[in-house]
Amino acid sequence: MLVELFITLVKILFIFAVTVGFFAPVLTWVERKQSALMQDRIGANRADIMGFTVLGLFHIIADALKMFTKEDFIPDGANKVLHTISPIIALVPALLTFAVVPFGGQYTLFDTEVNLVISDLDVGLLFVFAIASLATYGYVIAGWSSNNNWSLLGSMRTASQMISYEVTMGLTIIGVLMVYESMKLTEIGAIQENFWMWGIFLQPLGFIMFLTASIAENKRIPFDAPEAESELVAGYFTEYSGLKFGMFFMAEFIEMVTIGAIMTILFLGAWHIPFLTTATLLSWFDFLGTTGSNLVVMLIHVGVFFAKVCFFIYLQMIIRWTLPRFRYDQIMKLGWKILLPLSLANILVTGLVILALN
Amino acid sequence: MAYYVNRGSEMTWWEKSYIPEIIKGMWLTTRRFFHNLFGFIPFFLGTEKNRRIMTVYYPEEQVQYPVAYRGRPVLAQNEDGQPACVACGLCEIACPAYCIHIEPGQNSGKQNQYERWPDVFNIDYAICIFCGNCEEACPEEAIFMSDECEISMLDRKQMLYTKEQLLVPVADLQKRIEFTRNMYAKWNY
Repeated sequence: MLVELFITLVKILFIFAVTVGFFAPVLTWVERKQSALMQDRIGANRADIMGFTVLGLFHIIADALKMFTKEDFIPDGANKVLHTISPIIALVPALLTFAVVPFGGQYTLFDTEVNLVISDLDVGLLFVFAIASLATYGYVIAGWSSNNNWSLLGSMRTASQMISYEVTMGLTIIGVLMVYESMKLTEIGAIQENFWMWGIFLQPLGFIMFLTASIAENKRIPFDAPEAESELVAGYFTEYSGLKFGMFFMAEFIEMVTIGAIMTILFLGAWHIPFLTTATLLSWFDFLGTTGSNLVVMLIHVGVFFAKVCFFIYLQMIIRWTLPRFRYDQIMKLGWKILLPLSLANILVTGLVILALN
Repeated sequence: MAYYVNRGSEMTWWEKSYIPEIIKGMWLTTRRFFHNLFGFIPFFLGTEKNRRIMTVYYPEEQVQYPVAYRGRPVLAQNEDGQPACVACGLCEIACPAYCIHIEPGQNSGKQNQYERWPDVFNIDYAICIFCGNCEEACPEEAIFMSDECEISMLDRKQMLYTKEQLLVPVADLQKRIEFTRNMYAKWNY
């Protein structure tokens, strides 16, 4: 019992260290530097400690310091309670989804079965979507409580966009569920040990639609109508400053990681290397003993998983810096008139194929 | 309702399906990204010529501006240390922003003395618009636009340059002098 508690605590700490400690701050740097490189610029390189800039990595520290020392401003006429808690409502779901996201398979370490997921729920996929849609409340409340026209407009756009694209998202994963016949994310990951069972081959249309819908859910360009700088100042977080703004910012980056993780598990073979089963990998490191070989394979799998997550983050960033923003009516048209019928057709075709194969 | 502009170009079905065109755009940016990822040698590791891209690390690296560039106006200083200016006031009149202030020196009538020279010659760079009219108006080849453009200050008062600060030896200005001679000779005043 105590061992299990310890293992769970270690896993929670690991996830926190990776998302909040590594991905969220580093992605702010990556986004600046990548966009700079793509546009023939040099990017952030001015923050230095004793003359060393380290490619501008100290901008992370500078940003954090700036956010901590800024005035925490609540505008006149704002609802103070809601204004304060809405960034928390936005941030917590982004972190919570990682509770069911597996970042590795099952390994035997010191005669103990270690499952690399914090909580292996039977309805893991549903849990992800249930929690992820809670974040909408944070954004809507943030816009409503700040007593600002632009914020309200931004939050209304957020609400409509999130609802529209959640429909597509939900219908897209039905295709995935039909193929894998499981809602457990660990099981879906385990099935994809076979390279030709990867979701990207079984559900290619679903993959593209899920990627589109999840970028829309994260409100990143080309779907950033809720926070359109040129139209709405900054959308729902116009009236936020200091660390509250930082929480919205962090939520966006952590959601990018979440989307990357979910996409990896559903479509890109989770923690598996193509054509290499876990058994083969284990046999390679047999000379290290059971614990040793399991430990090495575990590290490889976790590394592969996060490499795939990084690939999806890179994809999202490159899409963000390549495409212009959709107009608001175009977003709605794409959501309801194109993606929704396509996702329904995807379910139909998937069902027919499964019926024909059986 | 949204306003549609008919540009007379119908998209094909291939283009309307979004995905291929998006992939094309992403291919372009990805290529650019990796090209620059390995092309961006830091300034201390290689000169501008060794790099494959033309972006410069500005404060550490300087660009040589072309001779036609209009930077801050300066006064030409003759070999004997005196300004070539004769304080005629033509540049003061030509200046559209009224940033030049000249007070002529008093000639006492001694032998071998300069006939005319400015006692005070101020240019306020906070007002100057870098149009080059003063250079064009000058009959004595005394005021020239240099290639220096870094004149931002923390205090506006420091941007008022006096005669001593403005003087630049005539030898340093040869290229610009040649350029102005060619330039204004064409127009045949």
